[in-house]
Amino acid sequence: MKSNESDSRFPVTPQGDGPVHGIAAKPDLKDPQVVLSLLETDQVVAAKEKTRFGRRNLSLGVRLLLWGLRIYVVAMLVLVVVSVLRAVHSMH
Amino acid sequence: MASLKKDSDESSFGSARPTTEIASASPVARDLIGLLTHEDLDRARDRWRVTRARWKGRGAKRFGGLRVLWLLVGPGVLVFLGENDAPSMLSYSATGARFGVGFFIPFVVLTFVMGLIVQEMTVRLGAVTHRGHAELIFDRFGKFWGFFSMGDLVLGNFLTLITEFIGIRAGLGFFGIRPAVAVGVGLIVVVAAMTTGRYWTWERITLGLAIFNGLFIPAAILARPDWSAVGHAMLTWTPLPTGHSSEILLLILADIGATVTPWMIFFQQSAVVDKGMQPRDIKAGRFDTLLGALLATVFAIAAILATVPLFHHGIDASQFQAAQFAEALEPWIGHAGAALFALGIFEAGIVAAIAISTSSAYAFGEVLQTGHSLNRPVRDAWPFYSTLLGSACAAAGLVLIPHAPLEFVVLTVNVIAVLAMPPALAFLILLVNDRDVMGEHVNGFWANAAGIAVTVLLVCVGIGFGLATVFPSLLGG
Repeated sequence: MKSNESDSRFPVTPQGDGPVHGIAAKPDLKDPQVVLSLLETDQVVAAKEKTRFGRRNLSLGVRLLLWGLRIYVVAMLVLVVVSVLRAVHSMH
Repeated sequence: MASLKKDSDESSFGSARPTTEIASASPVARDLIGLLTHEDLDRARDRWRVTRARWKGRGAKRFGGLRVLWLLVGPGVLVFLGENDAPSMLSYSATGARFGVGFFIPFVVLTFVMGLIVQEMTVRLGAVTHRGHAELIFDRFGKFWGFFSMGDLVLGNFLTLITEFIGIRAGLGFFGIRPAVAVGVGLIVVVAAMTTGRYWTWERITLGLAIFNGLFIPAAILARPDWSAVGHAMLTWTPLPTGHSSEILLLILADIGATVTPWMIFFQQSAVVDKGMQPRDIKAGRFDTLLGALLATVFAIAAILATVPLFHHGIDASQFQAAQFAEALEPWIGHAGAALFALGIFEAGIVAAIAISTSSAYAFGEVLQTGHSLNRPVRDAWPFYSTLLGSACAAAGLVLIPHAPLEFVVLTVNVIAVLAMPPALAFLILLVNDRDVMGEHVNGFWANAAGIAVTVLLVCVGIGFGLATVFPSLLGG
């Protein structure tokens, strides 16, 4: 993975005319190069829309985990309904 | 990478991969030049501010200075103060009124530590992948598991949103404002925040509102808490709660559900993406999350302390709603204190209504693969904004239906949040350990140990709730 720690890639005004010497006081966002220099490739909407993370292979263990938790949630939701019906009944 | 499939036939864009490559240095930079959108320009403007602040504060040892922190704080504070919502504050109030100062004070701190562990992972996921949680689940686990996950989110979010409008109605009801007017005010604020057309403005407006969660602090001070008892409880976790075990278990469940819920995961990751955070911002994102957790912990404990007078005077608050808490507290904390409490519930409802409806909209946009950014104008992302507005309007409308079984919703919302959390955490932990997605930012040993411990604890509490429901006599009724 590339390092991203240097600031040298950011738009620089030759005159250093901003309050901070070396970085423009206002970015010229009409210039696409300036916009692209501020964003990572995957932050650009067009690039993100054209690429996707593919499906991962789910091992047996992962599938069992996901199914187990799914059954857990469904069972618990049934119990919530039972519990609330009891509570509402006792309120009235 | 072998496990990543190429999903685009039309260009050289290739597959998504964990990278921090700057777009202008990318081989596809030339292709991107003509495709930049309004959303890209707004995000670039936000990134430029951070870059400039970091450059100015380059002498600062951590984070790059206060200005950088100011710019990057947002999603973490919002998610925690958003989760200090109307039903959560009512859970804390019920806790204080039922059990006073004791076990639940340090327990609430523990729940926020759990929340912090979970939310830190969403910061990394969002900053590294630039994709929302729903999108990643659909991409990596497929539609089958994606729709299950979305089902949990949609159910939980909609029920929670209803309770926010119940809180808004009840909070303003204390001041004699009619329900329709109160709910209308709530809707207007949600709409006003969403129509800014700019993530940054939306975030700052919502942060400005969220800080009023602190109204519970003066209400707590007016209740004249016994600070030595608070200190003792923090150190010893005593006195332990007494009474029906099932009631204690329900409050434990409700207090956990007031701090760790699925919508928080989806919301913070999407907000981190919309804010344009990058891997180099992860430290600041962690600080943001820690700050949010600290503020929310203090405000939650304040809500508990504000209602302790009800415990000391033996008042049964088990069936209280927001306005009733405020009215019952008036003899002990005065009209001003009661008004602050009611306003606090109103504020909690408003901020959460904004955050939760936005969370639903982000998730829908990601799944439908349509525009899903607050940086987009309404005309460019109308499905996103329609979901946001539609969910808020539906919840607000339900609250105004006479004789609607709203007590059903209030009773269940935090419990459902806790019960739906283990699968959400499983997806989160699997994603954050996925090197194809996270690259070098995968979880370390301790992050995994903490995440798994939180998941196991939530499953155990859920099973305890199940046993108490099926065998009420097992836990003493």
